[in-house]
Amino acid sequence: MAKIEIKDLSKDYTTPNGVLHAVKHANLTVNDGEVVVIIGPSGSGKSTLLRCVNALETATAGHILIDGIDVTAPGTDIRQIREEVGMVFQSFNLFPHLTVLENITLAPMKVKKMDKAEAEELARQLLKRVGLSDKADVHPTQLSGGQQQRVAIARSLAMKPKAMLFDEPTSALDPEMIKEVLDVMTDLAREGMTMLLVTHEMGFAKAAADKVIFMDNGEILEEGTPEKMFTSPENPRTIDFLNHIL
Amino acid sequence: MDDKNTIEEKIRKETLVRKAVSVDPNAAKAGPSTIQMTDGVLIPKKGEKHILTSWRLTFFGALVLSAILIVFFPDPYRQIFRTCLRGLPVTFEVTIFSIIGAVIIGTFTGLGSVSKRRWINMICGVYVELIRGIPLLVQLIFIYYAVGRFFHVEGLVAAIFSLSVCFGAYMGEIVRAGIQAIPKGQMEAAIALGLSRSQAFRYIILPQTVKVILPAIGNEFISMLKDSSLVSVLSLEDILRCGRMYISRTFLSLETMLVVALIYLIITLVLSRLVGVLEERLHKNG
Ligand SMILES: Nc1ncnc2c1ncn2[C@@H]1O[C@H](COP(=O)(O)OP(=O)(O)OP(=O)(O)O)[C@@H](O)[C@H]1O
Ligand SMILES: [Mg+2]
Repeated sequence: MAKIEIKDLSKDYTTPNGVLHAVKHANLTVNDGEVVVIIGPSGSGKSTLLRCVNALETATAGHILIDGIDVTAPGTDIRQIREEVGMVFQSFNLFPHLTVLENITLAPMKVKKMDKAEAEELARQLLKRVGLSDKADVHPTQLSGGQQQRVAIARSLAMKPKAMLFDEPTSALDPEMIKEVLDVMTDLAREGMTMLLVTHEMGFAKAAADKVIFMDNGEILEEGTPEKMFTSPENPRTIDFLNHIL
Repeated sequence: MDDKNTIEEKIRKETLVRKAVSVDPNAAKAGPSTIQMTDGVLIPKKGEKHILTSWRLTFFGALVLSAILIVFFPDPYRQIFRTCLRGLPVTFEVTIFSIIGAVIIGTFTGLGSVSKRRWINMICGVYVELIRGIPLLVQLIFIYYAVGRFFHVEGLVAAIFSLSVCFGAYMGEIVRAGIQAIPKGQMEAAIALGLSRSQAFRYIILPQTVKVILPAIGNEFISMLKDSSLVSVLSLEDILRCGRMYISRTFLSLETMLVVALIYLIITLVLSRLVGVLEERLHKNG
């Protein structure tokens, strides 16, 4: 579906205490249909890297190509890129003043100019796919965290994206709700969606990921298959990190 | 020496990280809160017993006093009430149209203050500072004369325009605070779906802002009702001016002003209760 290439990407933030190098010279390729998981300690730049891909953050240096189109080039239509690359956030970010159905139909109707009936039909299909057919007309606040996150995934899918970004999609959830969200994500991975995600769910990474990336201090320090990364990591910082969380 | 350096380095890094973490846009934030900007009208809600009690005391006190005056001292109070109430339509007209004008101006000012364009921020900032720095009465008279001289409109329209401009600045600050109270993630989620910034404002941010600032707008409405008495200097026959015209005929200054005060007080108290009820409804409907 889509190929994401991150080339020598850097992102600096100017803070009151000076310049903070959130991401330093990162290189990474997610091939068409691949699932790539980024792991690493807090503050290592995982979210920043992810947010550069759909230009929620502007990269300081380097390039990001999506199917060959450079996101960082000045003339690029970033809205077009964002239509094609969905994003799911840790805190769901559903729109509280809209119903579940309206949350899903808004972007197809306003951005793709889809007519209402068609958008609602699509939304109902997606709700069925994430197992929430009966929740179409409630407001997000009436849903559990797991349900909200599944709606957020459906909302992204409604734009028929070629690739999806997930930033710690299960970190804000109670343990008993994590599985329902991971199941939806696993299905997506199986169907061949290109996925770049930050998660510390090692079970998911082992089952669905093609590649695992370890980041620390803004740098990509190690990458490899899940088996290699979880059983025989080489970089001492990776070993240290995995010892802490496993 | 080496040790000390590394420790210092560590502390520096730690504080750097901490400081930066506090602006992490991914930090989970609490839901939107209610913005309160008021010049002191206490809006009684069910939970706040003592305010409700003092509201009742004042309200019924004012009613009883009015009744006593009308029933036991029909001369001159009946005449005074009748005369002053003739100003009621003008007072309401000015208040309602001015608040509508202020909301419209305030919406643009609020949006302008959060705009990404520097020069728009600047214009809105200067407008707000200008209005805040000049006494309301002075602005009112100034704008009234200016509008009158250059556009030749009638007094009522000029008064409404001036009050709208004056209150628009405060309304702009309310709208700005309301927009900023909406969690950042809302804008990000909208933009990540491919919406433009203006679409995101229109469909996501503003509808939520309205809910947050409605009580504050109610408060402004009450302030506006009181401050609309200033238009009496512009020879508009509102409640206060009707009273003062009556004084110049009869010299019953204290009696008349008592009635004027009672009328304003009763209206204001009724309105503040209404705003309170509205706010409760709003909270109930989530
Ligand atoms: N808007 C910002 N302004 C300034 N500094 C920022 C901003 N966003 C992130 N940072 C800093 O950049 C660094 C990387 O942050 P990032 O959120 O990418 O880390 P992360 O790996 O996602 O961490 P976590 O696991 O806690 O989510 C951190 O030091 C963070 O404080
Ligand atoms: Mg993060």
